[in-house]
Amino acid sequence: MTLRDLEARVSATKAEVEARGETFYPGASRVHLAAYPPKERWSDWVELDAEAWPKRVERRYVLVPTTCFNCESACGLLAYVDRDTLEVRKFEGNPEHPGSRGRNCAKGPATVTQLADPDRILHPLKRTGARGGGQWRRVEWDEALDDIAERIRSAMDEDRHNQIMYHVGRPGEDGFTERMLAAWGVDGHNSHTNICSSGARAGYHFWMGLDRPSPDHENARVILLISSHLEAGHYFNPHAQRVMEGKKRGAKLVVFDTRLSNTATHADHWLSTYPGSEAAVLLAVANHLVRTGRYDKAFVERWWNWREYLEEVRPGEPVEFSVFQQALESEYAEYTFEFAAAESGVAVETIAQVAETVAEAGTRLATHNWRSAAAGNLGGWQVARALFLLNALTGAIAVPGGTYPNAWNKYVPRPIRMPAQRPKRWNDLTWPADYPLSLMEMSFLLPHLTAERGGRLDVYFTRVYNPVWTNPDGASWIEMLTDPERIGLHVALTPTWNETALFADYVLPMGHSAERHDVASYEQYDGRWVGFRQPALRTARRRLGEDRVSTRSANPGEVWEENEFWIDLTWRIDPDGSRGIRSFFESRARPGEKLTVDEYYAWMFENSVPGLPEAAAREGLAPLEYMRRYGAFEIDAGVGALYEEPVPPGELADVRVDRAGRAFSRTPAPAPDNVVPIPPMDGDDDGRARVGVEVNGVIRRGFPTPSGRLEFWSRTLAQWGWPEMAVPGYSRSHVHPQAMDRDQMCLVSTFRLPVHIHTRSANAKWLNEIAHANPLWIHPRDADAKGLRTGDLARVETEIGHFVAKAWVTEGIHPGVVACSHHMGRWTLNDEPGQAGAAVSLRRENGEWRMRRLKGARPHRSSDPDTDRIWWTEAGVHQNMTFPVQPDPVSGAHCWHQAVRVRPARGGDRHGDVVVHAEKSLDAFRRWLGLARSAYRHSPDGTRRPYWLLRPVRPERAAYSLPPRAPEDAGSG
Amino acid sequence: MELYRALGSLIEPPAPEHVRLARALGLPAVPAAEQHAAVVAFQRHAYASVYLGGEGLIGGEVRDRVEGFRRALGLEEAGHAADHLAALLSHLALLETWRRDETGLARQALLSQARDTLAWEYVLSWRPPYLASFRQCGSPFYEAWAVLSGRALDALCDEIDPPARLPEALRAAPAFPDMREAGVDEIVSAVLAPARSGMIVLRDDLVRMARIVGAAARATDRRTWLRGLLEQAPQEAVGWLAGHARRWAGRMEGARPRRVAQWWSGRARRAAEALEQAAAQCGTAAAPSAAAR
Repeated sequence: MTLRDLEARVSATKAEVEARGETFYPGASRVHLAAYPPKERWSDWVELDAEAWPKRVERRYVLVPTTCFNCESACGLLAYVDRDTLEVRKFEGNPEHPGSRGRNCAKGPATVTQLADPDRILHPLKRTGARGGGQWRRVEWDEALDDIAERIRSAMDEDRHNQIMYHVGRPGEDGFTERMLAAWGVDGHNSHTNICSSGARAGYHFWMGLDRPSPDHENARVILLISSHLEAGHYFNPHAQRVMEGKKRGAKLVVFDTRLSNTATHADHWLSTYPGSEAAVLLAVANHLVRTGRYDKAFVERWWNWREYLEEVRPGEPVEFSVFQQALESEYAEYTFEFAAAESGVAVETIAQVAETVAEAGTRLATHNWRSAAAGNLGGWQVARALFLLNALTGAIAVPGGTYPNAWNKYVPRPIRMPAQRPKRWNDLTWPADYPLSLMEMSFLLPHLTAERGGRLDVYFTRVYNPVWTNPDGASWIEMLTDPERIGLHVALTPTWNETALFADYVLPMGHSAERHDVASYEQYDGRWVGFRQPALRTARRRLGEDRVSTRSANPGEVWEENEFWIDLTWRIDPDGSRGIRSFFESRARPGEKLTVDEYYAWMFENSVPGLPEAAAREGLAPLEYMRRYGAFEIDAGVGALYEEPVPPGELADVRVDRAGRAFSRTPAPAPDNVVPIPPMDGDDDGRARVGVEVNGVIRRGFPTPSGRLEFWSRTLAQWGWPEMAVPGYSRSHVHPQAMDRDQMCLVSTFRLPVHIHTRSANAKWLNEIAHANPLWIHPRDADAKGLRTGDLARVETEIGHFVAKAWVTEGIHPGVVACSHHMGRWTLNDEPGQAGAAVSLRRENGEWRMRRLKGARPHRSSDPDTDRIWWTEAGVHQNMTFPVQPDPVSGAHCWHQAVRVRPARGGDRHGDVVVHAEKSLDAFRRWLGLARSAYRHSPDGTRRPYWLLRPVRPERAAYSLPPRAPEDAGSG
Repeated sequence: MELYRALGSLIEPPAPEHVRLARALGLPAVPAAEQHAAVVAFQRHAYASVYLGGEGLIGGEVRDRVEGFRRALGLEEAGHAADHLAALLSHLALLETWRRDETGLARQALLSQARDTLAWEYVLSWRPPYLASFRQCGSPFYEAWAVLSGRALDALCDEIDPPARLPEALRAAPAFPDMREAGVDEIVSAVLAPARSGMIVLRDDLVRMARIVGAAARATDRRTWLRGLLEQAPQEAVGWLAGHARRWAGRMEGARPRRVAQWWSGRARRAAEALEQAAAQCGTAAAPSAAAR
């Protein structure tokens, strides 16, 4: 046979095999450099047992896809379930996952150590002594559920809905709990977001109506990151791999990072900006683009709300684009390279080079800011706004290599039931009138607001959240959690022990990533996918022919999953359905019976995910079976510039276009199956719905903003008390040298370590072995001036206290700045340390909280022999406790950076010491509250908050009306 | 180009998917994993670095150069797999696919050049000794695989435009050492590095050699074993190696690509001459050579 014939035969066989959805070449294979078992053999995969070497012992596995729960990326994992022992032996990447594409960071595979963590909570526990006393008894799930349900029912019956609160750290799912709370009629959703991403997201939200960026790194010519993104940033693994692909294709990488992070080492241009100066540098780049005319004028003319700006800001001038161009030039004329250099400490030449690099990017400019500068500074939200200004100037929005709005690269499938009702009452503890524009709940002020304004929570759920350790001013959280007047019942839903759970009344064990159901979809490239998290042992048993009635019965101990937990709890709150809540979790197939997770997801995948039923049918599977088999489904890729899409004629009836160009119709498109959060847009006075915006005579989709366009000038900001910040700008941070005393320095406390993720990773032994210290980065010049050498103890004094850390002298930090990762300093009040945290004493005396380390990490006996091999003693220092709350008055985000004094430790200081003055913490709260501009003074329409702004659980419209002014609101301006 | 990928895949550990691949190519039944281990994994390592590198070991400069080549083309880094034959053949197939899909003539020419360079520098450069090593290997499957791979690579050789110069690795390969000056460790290293000695010394060869020398087979690495044989029976061992090199010199004559094969043949011949001289000296001296001590 000729070679040509052989080539044809192989190609034909390959085509035939792949048409069946099967893998042609085996894995692990060097042919496609894949290390993945072919999916056809996932039900019975054979590997040699490495531990048995040199004997050749085969182990047989069922491979079950799930998604990681350690950070928000939701990367695909493959759980290797041993067919003989029915244990998860390891995790590897899921090659079928479109976001992570089979790759994982260290945190994914380390999940197996979390499952086997000897300290994990396996049974429901109820407190028996005082809160925080560490005494518990094991209880049945039924007892806990009945008790909690009874309290919630009573609160509802007594119209105390606002005393029920669910406080979430890592959501890891798309909307299940938010919809449930809406069904309960409770405005009790509280997220961690205002200590996290909300600053940057506010900046994006005011620009384009959607609050997250989705950069197309892979196709970019220039990638501009305001973070250590390649190393540890948001969507770290899915984005980092695409940043590297972009770089390989020739993209230039520009990184703004005060530290020499691993990301900075990969940059073509690393700008070690002084903290808080980032917006000044970005505006200097914008000024360069405008001044040299190298911006996309056609795009700006089509899509910016420049007419609105001229009418409102420059009345009397002609409303012409040429006038706007001049205005634009004058807006940013003061942001010269020299000004930016003076603010940032970066050389003029470097800034000029970066400006040129950006100017040459064309529309292939991928930019991203998540936390970093936006989370650190007063006015940090303007960093994201200034960054996105570069995209808006270059037209690099929702085009290949540019940055997309998240909702266009995300898919949230419509569930079997959407709540018919919404909360009737507004929760002032989470959405106080002082912060009408806050992107998310003012979560970190909860202790201060309850203390100052007398709020009470009768049932308070902390769910995969550890505010005592994670939030600023953790001592105020301990005070609140131990105060029965403020917290009636605290229920901690958590897979592992943490500092907050120590102060709970119930600790209820919830599953890790391979022990629960969720769907999640995230903006990681220009495409839309849905990932399916599933309990691996339950699915493996099912594949082996054994069906378990609940996830709890398949998981270790009595570990449960939240889906089933909430369904069960809801039924107990409303056992006879008379409250109208139970119906939300009732089966459609079997009316009057509880909804099961199988029915919930089967309905979703059959009815709400376009293309999934067809893809499943091609393999002879039901959609749910398909998702259980592959763990993810890509709906589409190359979504593109949706704002340019003309509104189809079928959606245009009796159209009215208003003066601003917004188009209203009586036949809008029906509600989509993608229920991704987008801002609601008001219709016109005649009952038409808004469908788009007219651009050059064509009605196009536009942006979900009040104007329908990109909002260079924000009417919302201007009308709600912030006219001076209505266009992207720069204001000096609270850690600007002019705002601090001469002997103070800026402490950057926000950076991550690549292998850790807040409180979630503490019980992963592999990760703890890799990283277990958070020394204080200090520049040699500063260290010399203070007499500090590497390893010396330094006392770092904040406004409300101090902590003692070890110095690390390095040139990898901007002079005048110190930095300390927030990932360390875990502690326990037990006598013995765990694998991650130190055993400490914690006392309150004379208005001071004092924490002292009793024992660091050390070898100890447990069910895992590895704990006897712990070789390190470090556990880091819990710095967050010494930070006062510093809410940004616009975005509501906590401004993490601290003005500190750094000195050599004094006699008696010990590593890990933490001291906090309780009264000073309240003083700081009041001072920052004074910066806020209350809805009572600035609301243009008598409401608490602009209706169009996003809100996780949106109450009824009537609840938006401001009640008569409350006396406690007097603190804000 | 799927033929290259298929042939590359079949040199990897047997998997159920190989059954249909072998059937499509008309090859004998796919062997068990043990046979792959005996024939390939433990003896005929399918890494370019083993045959082109000066040390005869996996990895090193040759692999770095392959990685650099991948990087320059914007391909994903392949790590330890970069210079494995399966990855190299897959890489060739990918370049050919890109070339065929490319409409721009200039870029098409660049891709042709890239493919030819990869083929010449990292595949055809070690094709003659590697595929020859499968002759009479005791596995009908791998013998047939080597014959078919040889046909496919010969066709590739006809298709490309080989540069005037020999592949870089061959030009840079250190010469076989002067037996009068080299220590025994250097001689062992040179003998076991195909690019220096021009021959491949398998574990099976050492078994044969041991039998002739009158020594027992040893469960150790080739290096230790060969050193032991040289110390135990220097004249016989060196003599056997000289004959082995001669046989390899003969095997390489007439193989393809012609210029590459001639280089391999010449290198084996020179090694044979050096070893023959050393063997002769061993007959007149108390030791295999003064240098071998």
